[in-house]
Amino acid sequence: MTTGETQGVAPASDCQRAKRELEEYIHGELCAADAGDIRRHLETCDDCNAEHTVGVTLTNALKGACKEAAPEELRDSIMNALRRAQAEHQG
Amino acid sequence: MTGIATATRLDSEAMSKSNDTHTRFVNDALPYTDQLYAAAMRMTRNPADASDLVQETFAKAYAAFDSYTQGTNLKAWLYRIQTNTFINQYRKAKRQPFQNPLEELEDWQIGDSDSITSTHSRSAEAEAIDRMPSGIVKDSLQQLSVDRRMVVYLVDVEGFSYQETADMMETPVGTVMSRLHRGRKQLREMLAGYAAQQGMKTEEKQ
Ligand SMILES: [Zn+2]
Repeated sequence: MTTGETQGVAPASDCQRAKRELEEYIHGELCAADAGDIRRHLETCDDCNAEHTVGVTLTNALKGACKEAAPEELRDSIMNALRRAQAEHQG
Repeated sequence: MTGIATATRLDSEAMSKSNDTHTRFVNDALPYTDQLYAAAMRMTRNPADASDLVQETFAKAYAAFDSYTQGTNLKAWLYRIQTNTFINQYRKAKRQPFQNPLEELEDWQIGDSDSITSTHSRSAEAEAIDRMPSGIVKDSLQQLSVDRRMVVYLVDVEGFSYQETADMMETPVGTVMSRLHRGRKQLREMLAGYAAQQGMKTEEKQ
């Protein structure tokens, strides 16, 4: 991406690009230069910024909702199986 | 799926380990039990199958631990074993391919209609998602098709890269992106529907 290309681009196409790349931006998949372009656009565009906030909020909600503790039974049976394997090896 | 777990038994001779390797496995790999169980719950959607899957994953990981290169990403290695195991079980149980080739032809990159939604209602949407009870978020995720559910889980919850996720699921990166996009879009629709039902305002009123 050269600076010459991006100069003077109409805001509408900036928005199109930002919307297209927003998911990759949220997931840290863009290279530094592209991420910088999106970050700058978000600072000046309420519309894309709102879309970004929804995306980040969704990711955080999913992270918060999916925590689980393994049942004690499962822990025990894994440990027992490992001990058995180890004991057989030594015995 | 029950019964498959017993196919790879931890106490087989092939899995005998030196004390060092055994200790290293217990210290390094076992702390991922909760995380692998959480992932298994999202994959299988029930505690019994999730437990079987995690047990199976650790059995395979223990047997293959010599092939794991120390210092590389252990979490990704374990997730890869579990994801492969689940997909193979799923294929066997359903007697059908895991991937639906037709899905790849859809138009995920063509802009969605969400530009119709105003900036204003989107900030209300973000607020509604933020206040959503976690049980509802989890239930919504459970309602996604298995391939979208797994991709959303691996990328959004576990923070794996698109490439890592593609490797785990043995699909192209483009497929990961398309499933992720559709899955997230579907989640937004479900959560907005729930918010509307509950009278959580997604439009400014009052
Ligand atoms: Zn914009």
